[in-house]
Amino acid sequence: MRSSDVYEGAAPPSRLSVEGLCVDRIEAGRVAGAILSDVHFALEPGATAIITGPSGAGKTTLLYAVAGLLQPDRGGVRWGGSDIAAWPERRRDRWRRDAVGLVFQDFQLFPELGVVDNILLPIRFDRGRTPAALRERAHALAERVGVAAATARAGALSPGEQQRVAVARALIRRPALLLADEPTASLDPENGARVADILLGMASEARATLLIVSHDPALLARVGTIYRLEAGRLAAATGRAP
Amino acid sequence: MNPWPVVLADLRALRWVAWIAPLLVAIAVSVGVALSAQERGLRQATAQAASDFDLLIGAPGSQTQLVLTAVYLQPEALPLLDGAVLPALANDPRVKAAAPIAFGDISRGYPIVGTTAAFVTRWGRIKPSEGRVFAQEGEAVVGADVRLAIGDAITPSHAHAGQRHPLGIESPEEARHRHEGVRYAVVGRLPRFGSPWDRAILVPVESVWETHGLGNGHAAEDIPIGPPFDGARVPGVPAIVVKPNTVADAYVLRGQYRQGGTMAFFPAEVLVSVYRTLGDVRDLLLVAAVLNDVVVFAAVAILLLALAGLRRRRYAVLRALGASRLYVILTAWLGAVAILAAGCAAGLALAQLTSLAVIHLIEARTGLALPAAIALPDALPIVGLMALGSLLALMPALAAFRIPVADALRHG
Repeated sequence: MRSSDVYEGAAPPSRLSVEGLCVDRIEAGRVAGAILSDVHFALEPGATAIITGPSGAGKTTLLYAVAGLLQPDRGGVRWGGSDIAAWPERRRDRWRRDAVGLVFQDFQLFPELGVVDNILLPIRFDRGRTPAALRERAHALAERVGVAAATARAGALSPGEQQRVAVARALIRRPALLLADEPTASLDPENGARVADILLGMASEARATLLIVSHDPALLARVGTIYRLEAGRLAAATGRAP
Repeated sequence: MNPWPVVLADLRALRWVAWIAPLLVAIAVSVGVALSAQERGLRQATAQAASDFDLLIGAPGSQTQLVLTAVYLQPEALPLLDGAVLPALANDPRVKAAAPIAFGDISRGYPIVGTTAAFVTRWGRIKPSEGRVFAQEGEAVVGADVRLAIGDAITPSHAHAGQRHPLGIESPEEARHRHEGVRYAVVGRLPRFGSPWDRAILVPVESVWETHGLGNGHAAEDIPIGPPFDGARVPGVPAIVVKPNTVADAYVLRGQYRQGGTMAFFPAEVLVSVYRTLGDVRDLLLVAAVLNDVVVFAAVAILLLALAGLRRRRYAVLRALGASRLYVILTAWLGAVAILAAGCAAGLALAQLTSLAVIHLIEARTGLALPAAIALPDALPIVGLMALGSLLALMPALAAFRIPVADALRHG
């Protein structure tokens, strides 16, 4: 896995399929309904899709379940041939590291670290030393998303810049699956559009599968596959010819 | 894995707490270390200063006072011992050498000590660093720190017990009690002992006696100074230092001179009992210092635990980006340990600084030269404290371990 310095082909593109996913709503220690019930959908390698729906519909829960951050009560999330929910936690951690890139609504950069150190953060999880090639890649990514790599404190960047750095961080390990939770919701339309450009453009360049949770109409208008989640159920998928 | 960038970011996020917390640890740690270093240094310096005083004989009274006065030159009026003991000791086959020590005068604040040329050279162990030892009455040898030059002449003044005189100058009080007509010429200087004797002016004991109108301890005026003394003419002396031939002789002599109007003892005996008391006090203070350390360490650990609670979201982000539980624990733990380690290192430096200041103070006051401040044994308890602190630091780390990622991502 460490044979290549730039993680070329570290995680082979795979088919993502969500099968009968159920997450119970627990209140006072008891099952009090469902956050997600019987959700089914699948994405071919390199595909892009958006999950949309009203607040509280379970969009973020679905995204976290796909990322392996929470255990579904029934059903599964399959990556290639394997059900990631059945893996031990350590294997899921490693899979998230190697195969998944995450973008959050509120960026979640380390404001005390510089731009390059933020982009390189996922590298630190399993490497003692950061190879020069990866440093160069971090600089190239910063340039690609239009942020000065030399910025000493990411906290000093504007919201739009911070989210662009977050996208670069998600891409540093060349993930096969990019997950973005409301990536434009904390930005003004102009900056939102710029982040959407970068996210869609770079996912397509990397041939990564991209799953976005969003209710931003501008973003919805740009993606072919839209799943609508209502009260925990996937209501409809609208598709457009790519 | 490389947790350092995250540790560094966490420390930066602490802002002033990242400085205050180690400072608190440093202050707490330095107290115990400095205390231990001072006590050890005081023992070494006092024992070193007493090393040429094998057996002391004096008139019955306080042994501690005799040691303080004869070895550490703290001025005090001592009861006098019959001078006839001196020639008796000189003829004793168990005695290698014996010398009277007589006090009472000062010059420019420096105590004037009357003794024999043999004891001035510590029984031949040392040589004057400059000039020579006195060879006749009216000559003086000065300690290493006495600000007098060879060839200088001084007039002694009568000193009063318990009075402190400024060193190097003649105070008006001193001038009033001058023994007019008595003069000493400085003929030599001794190397440094690191003891109060570095500030003494040593003169022939005969001169001290004559200054006080007690004759010269010899049968005639023209007999050269030093032993043998004439038993019938030797006036009383406050103390006699004896160098016995063997250890067995030392014990026999001590037994013999414990009766019949004299007392005899090894200064080491007095020091051991003083050290025991000193050690008890030190132990008591050290226990207080260690408790103090534990309280401060626990307070810092709880502070970091509270911070770990505030950082739930941050740890959850790390997990979401693919960090293992171990990585998150390591960052939380290393951050805490870094603060404690920085505190301990700064504490050692602080202890060294205070020790140097105290050493300077003690030397200025008593002339005792304490050895270099902090030694390994003083710093060893820090290792134990670091081990304890590292364990305490696991608390915030384990708090970081337990967070439910998806929940913490949403609600912080």
